Amino acid sequence: MRALRKLVLGETVALPVGVAIVLAVGLVLREVGGDWWEDDGGFVLLALVVGVLVAALAPAHRRR
Amino acid sequence: MTAFVLTLIGAALACGLEMLEALAIVLAVGSTRSWRDAVLGAVGAVVLLAVVVVAVGPLLLARLPLEALKVVIGTALLLFGLEWLRKGILRLAGRRSLSNSFQEYIEEREALEALEAPAPGEPDWPARIVAGKGVLLEGVEVVLIVAALGAGPDGLTPAVAGAALAVVVVVGVGFALHRPLMRLPESHLKYAVGVVLSSFGVFFLGEWLGTDWPGGDVALLYVAATLLAVSQAAVATLAREPVTA
Repeated sequence: MRALRKLVLGETVALPVGVAIVLAVGLVLREVGGDWWEDDGGFVLLALVVGVLVAALAPAHRRR
Repeated sequence: MTAFVLTLIGAALACGLEMLEALAIVLAVGSTRSWRDAVLGAVGAVVLLAVVVVAVGPLLLARLPLEALKVVIGTALLLFGLEWLRKGILRLAGRRSLSNSFQEYIEEREALEALEAPAPGEPDWPARIVAGKGVLLEGVEVVLIVAALGAGPDGLTPAVAGAALAVVVVVGVGFALHRPLMRLPESHLKYAVGVVLSSFGVFFLGEWLGTDWPGGDVALLYVAATLLAVSQAAVATLAREPVTA
């Protein structure tokens, strides 16, 4: 069971939670963004994903 | 062409590394207990996996709207990729032990040697279960990665070809016994897979959320370059920070 949970969620909740937030923000911006989202939305998603990665690494920074 | 090549490389590397981990477990079971039980456990897991894929795959395709399925797959790809990338950064920064299938092979052997052997002529169920569980868990990841990469536009051919290439290479490694496991730069390869899978995750998610990537498939390259630059900066920062438990 632990192996299955690790397989689905990974080792940290920061990633699934962060990716869920990215998805939610993306869905909202798609609805309200119009042409702007079509042209530049990809870069917004990339920036959000970089933010999620940095947040998932934060515990490693604190363990010093 | 960019997407085709990157899908092929990503699928081959990701599937190859997952299969290598499964191979380490099967080799450990075979060499400490019995080759027959190791192979039976592994084959049982492959059959179970095939049945689940054949039964669940068409059901999902029939019941779920294609757009929703694409978003789910893009999200799964991003989750897998970021998890590999996070672990890769920690390994390269010295914050986590390096990935090593040979070490896993040794540890699995030690764990199996501690288990009581069955009576002569009796089936070795612990050995079959250990081999089967290892192949099943790694196999689920292989299926998810191939399905996710294959779901992209024209992605099925390179994804399946990459997985097939991985099978050939890993089976070759298996026949050449465990020595090559020691020489593989697994941590670096897994880090590279993390960059590739995350790039596909961001790219597909962007497409399915209605964005137009400037340059089309070429966007995969600048997304990967961005993730590479950010992750290398994270490795350098973490490596510089002193570790106090």
